[in-house]
Amino acid sequence: MRYIRPSSLEDAVGLLANASGKAAILAGGSDLLVRMKGGFIEPDVIIDIKAIDALGRIIENDDGFVIGAAVPCAVLGENTALRNAWPGVVEGARLIGSKQVQGRCTIVGNLCNASPAADSVPALVAAGARALVRGPAGSRTIAVETIPVGPGKTSLAPGEIIEAILLDKRQRHSGDAYQRFTPRTEMDIAVVSAAVNLTLNDQGVVEKARVALGAAAPTVLLVEEAADILVGSRVDDGALERLAEACSAACRPIDDKRGTVEFRKKVAGVLAKRVALTAYQRAGQK
Amino acid sequence: MNINTPIEEREFKIVGKSVKRDDVLEKVTGEAEYTGDVKLAGMLHGKIKRAAIAHARIKSIDVSKALAYPGVKAVLTHENVPRVLHYGSPHPRSASCTKDQYILDDKVRFWGEGVAAVAAISEEIADEALDLIEVEYEALPAVFEPEDAALPGAPLIHDVGPGGNLVLDPVRVNRGDVEAGFAQADFILEGTFSGGRPHPAYMEPNVCIADWDGSNKLTFWTSTQTSFMVRGILAEVLGLPLTKVRVLVDHMGGGFGAKQDCFQHEFLCALLAKETRRPVKMEFTRHETFVAGRARHPCKVWLKQGFKNDGTLVARDMKLVYDSGAYGSHGPGVTIVGTTAATSLYRCENVRLEGRCVYTNTPINGAFRGYGVVQSYYALDIQMDEAAERLGMDPADLKLKNVVRAGDIAPSGHPIVGHGLEICLQHGIDVLDWKSLRNRDRTPDPKRPHIRKGWGIGCEMHGSSAYPGIKEQGNATVKVNEDGTVTLLTGAAGLGTGAHTALAQIVAEELGVRFEDVGVIHGDTDVVPWDIGAFASHTTYLVGTAAKMAATKVRASVLERAAMKLQVKADELDLSEGKIFVTAEPGRFMSVAEAMGPSRGIPAANIVANGTYEPTKSYSFAAHFTEVHVDTETGIVEVKRVVPVHDIGRVIHPIAAQGQIEGGIQQGIGHTLTEDYVIDKKTGRSLNAGLVDYKMPLSMDMPDIETIILEAAPDPGGPWGAKGVGEDPIIAIGPSIANAIYDAIGVRFHHYPITPEDILKALREKGA
Ligand SMILES: Cc1cc2nc3c(=O)[nH]c(=O)nc-3n(C[C@H](O)[C@H](O)[C@H](O)COP(=O)(O)OP(=O)(O)OC[C@H]3O[C@@H](n4cnc5c(N)ncnc54)[C@H](O)[C@@H]3O)c2cc1C
Repeated sequence: MRYIRPSSLEDAVGLLANASGKAAILAGGSDLLVRMKGGFIEPDVIIDIKAIDALGRIIENDDGFVIGAAVPCAVLGENTALRNAWPGVVEGARLIGSKQVQGRCTIVGNLCNASPAADSVPALVAAGARALVRGPAGSRTIAVETIPVGPGKTSLAPGEIIEAILLDKRQRHSGDAYQRFTPRTEMDIAVVSAAVNLTLNDQGVVEKARVALGAAAPTVLLVEEAADILVGSRVDDGALERLAEACSAACRPIDDKRGTVEFRKKVAGVLAKRVALTAYQRAGQK
Repeated sequence: MNINTPIEEREFKIVGKSVKRDDVLEKVTGEAEYTGDVKLAGMLHGKIKRAAIAHARIKSIDVSKALAYPGVKAVLTHENVPRVLHYGSPHPRSASCTKDQYILDDKVRFWGEGVAAVAAISEEIADEALDLIEVEYEALPAVFEPEDAALPGAPLIHDVGPGGNLVLDPVRVNRGDVEAGFAQADFILEGTFSGGRPHPAYMEPNVCIADWDGSNKLTFWTSTQTSFMVRGILAEVLGLPLTKVRVLVDHMGGGFGAKQDCFQHEFLCALLAKETRRPVKMEFTRHETFVAGRARHPCKVWLKQGFKNDGTLVARDMKLVYDSGAYGSHGPGVTIVGTTAATSLYRCENVRLEGRCVYTNTPINGAFRGYGVVQSYYALDIQMDEAAERLGMDPADLKLKNVVRAGDIAPSGHPIVGHGLEICLQHGIDVLDWKSLRNRDRTPDPKRPHIRKGWGIGCEMHGSSAYPGIKEQGNATVKVNEDGTVTLLTGAAGLGTGAHTALAQIVAEELGVRFEDVGVIHGDTDVVPWDIGAFASHTTYLVGTAAKMAATKVRASVLERAAMKLQVKADELDLSEGKIFVTAEPGRFMSVAEAMGPSRGIPAANIVANGTYEPTKSYSFAAHFTEVHVDTETGIVEVKRVVPVHDIGRVIHPIAAQGQIEGGIQQGIGHTLTEDYVIDKKTGRSLNAGLVDYKMPLSMDMPDIETIILEAAPDPGGPWGAKGVGEDPIIAIGPSIANAIYDAIGVRFHHYPITPEDILKALREKGA
């Protein structure tokens, strides 16, 4: 096994393209190393992207935010502008593991590990985040929800690296929120989770909404019926009840040792209500 | 308080103070050496091949490929290890013992049992070699539930024992006349209760290192609570005299009772080292601590009690079935202790108890903090709350009316000393203003109407020693050195509880020297006096008394020596803070160093004394008052606040005692709400043998714990009345949580863990 630490993205893409056997990108390593130690994967080449300066930055520009693929979640949480604009996205990232894990782990790693329970993904999907992908054939920008295609599987082509996550410039009266259900408060895996992202008009009526559920299907679910219920409402009790029903109905979870289908469906609705309210309050404050 | 034998009262200088533990600095800096840190020249690594089948006969094992693998030095199977039937728990000839284990057998009794062992030059190579061992099994029908195992015609897991998959003959206790009691009852409550399979999940995985020297002597480092028991069983099974086995254990990363067993890996490690003539280390992975470690016995309890309308308990009929897993281990001890415990706690003259322990094809259950009593008192205490409700009484009043008092016969057969439990309960009621808590709003936050709050009480009592199951003996040797310092030699293991600090405090106090002047030597069976092991909440009580006895003797010798030098009689002298002085004339004094050291014509003194103590038993008591918040939409139960009120007699080290209580509560919260080691009921496979899916509460989940320690019922059995505390907290917290959940949402749970799914399901059924 070879370990390489390139200093430019071009080198990383080149190494990946030329790797003869199985190659793996290493960001924080908090999934990759666990999978290697568990004997689930045995890469021949490991390409560590943390020495590529450009990937270690968060840039705010006229279009919004560019979050480099190697930015650890702890650093993400310390960025005040990002926290103000996208509190739900930051909330998801800061639920990953513990302080120690957040010192290493990245949202891109979380996305590419393609776990249905990944904590940062529902809020990214609700936020309409996009990924900037670099590969042997050049660059492309795609919606984050198109990247995981099933547990442990992504749509990335061989040789492709995610360079950054792009978040839009925040509109007025907008807010987002994320919550998960776990039996304990830290170092745990979501049994089910929900994220909501809202933009209101000047009268406090929801104009735009996106609702995403985690651990409710093989990939994070974007629930359009649920979003439609919120649009045109003031997130009143009636809308919340219908939102909960729509979310419970949209779930296609599995029964496993972490939770039953029935429980996941019920709690998906409960969490959706709770995050919708929080997102609404946050939106109203801006 | 009603104490029969007077307890010496004195002004304490060291006892009762939270002196700085001398192991904390090396532990927090990472310098403390644990068994896993030991590295010997030429050391090999051992690994165990584990069966992926729950019940089978081994038709053949082919190790040729593994042996040929580069780096592999030895492979052991049932064909080349001694076939000695040996004890499951390391307490030979005690009540907690059964003989049903071989080092390796031609039969597999649970999924994960070791069938072969490899020693290789690295852990990786040993691991890879395991895959090269080919085992052919003949599958046998398996049973995973005690109910199934007890059915006539069920597949038999062992040839030994009383038969019918029983680990021991049923334990029966009869007092008074139960039928007559029920006949007097105004009403009867009957219910079934059950407990899951919580695991101790100690921080340090089991680990050992074996090294044979040229004289054929085995030196054995191991993370054990019972080093002399390990020495004894290794010597017995390997056919060696005790002079040829030396067991070493320094620091330990916890044990909680489970590291007092006869572990297969320990024998295999010693045999691999013997075979290769090189040191061998074996260290469990976290996964192995589950499959090859020891968990708490799952238990089913049927409980029927008769009550009078004034709250008097007139009859108790109880049946308990403990699931032993594939081997007996501590099953007999747990069954006896857990069953007989139900004679007590709440007074009842007519009692009929029956405890069974049954083999199943599941991983082994063993000793674990709360030893069978967690299960039986969970049922007793919850049914008490149900009775209170039926009577329209406050559960605190009903419990107060019925808790054991001084003179009542304890489970051990002894009269109880002091009104410890009554005082704990009353104290908690007073400090919390319990009556007003009962009347408050269950949903105080109008913005969060889905959060309901409740309070519950759990009571417990537990003995400081394993008597009468084991007649114990505590030993200590105290030496006074020529510079006035003191060395205590003890066989008691240091699990991380701070026991050695407490022992040093006792010696310093009794002798009259400073705490800093006492050094503790422990953990080497060739050096320290024999010890039964650190378990049963007894170290401070048992070894503490022995240490005090030894200190009394050396004190007298030191005073004799000083008397000679000061030209007075010894009884005219006193000794305090390392200074020996004439009582009537405090200006005439000398230091212990001056007394001990040489002077012209007088050589330095050699003062050594032993203390040996064989106690019966003392009981400690506790009442836990617990507040929970239940989220009725997600089913999450948050333990918000616990006020544990404990009576542990004389407190030797307050912070260490408090640490035991807080830790026991945290562990008990896990067992009651989130922790369960789950075995697949179709295959016997472990479903969550690891810390990702075995959910222990973490520091962020810890509630506010306001510990109150009373010295309400000191017992003459311990040093200045000290009693045990290690196991008590984990017993009381469980029922206090279950009772608080009922108070919050009006749903009764008779099992643990009580999961969010259980809560939602019950609320739905209730139509809330
Ligand atoms: C103790 C512990 C607790 C955890 N708790 C949580 C939790 O609460 N919630 C949760 O969601 N997760 C949790 N995880 C999982 C993990 O920490 C997260 O998924 C984390 O975000 C992964 O990020 P990473 O940078 O460490 O990824 P890595 O391990 O470095 O990579 C993960 C995967 O993504 C690929 N990858 C990484 N970067 C790129 C890139 N730029 N382009 C293409 N592919 C890439 C890697 O090749 C690998 O397949 C936990 C893990 C541990 C060890």
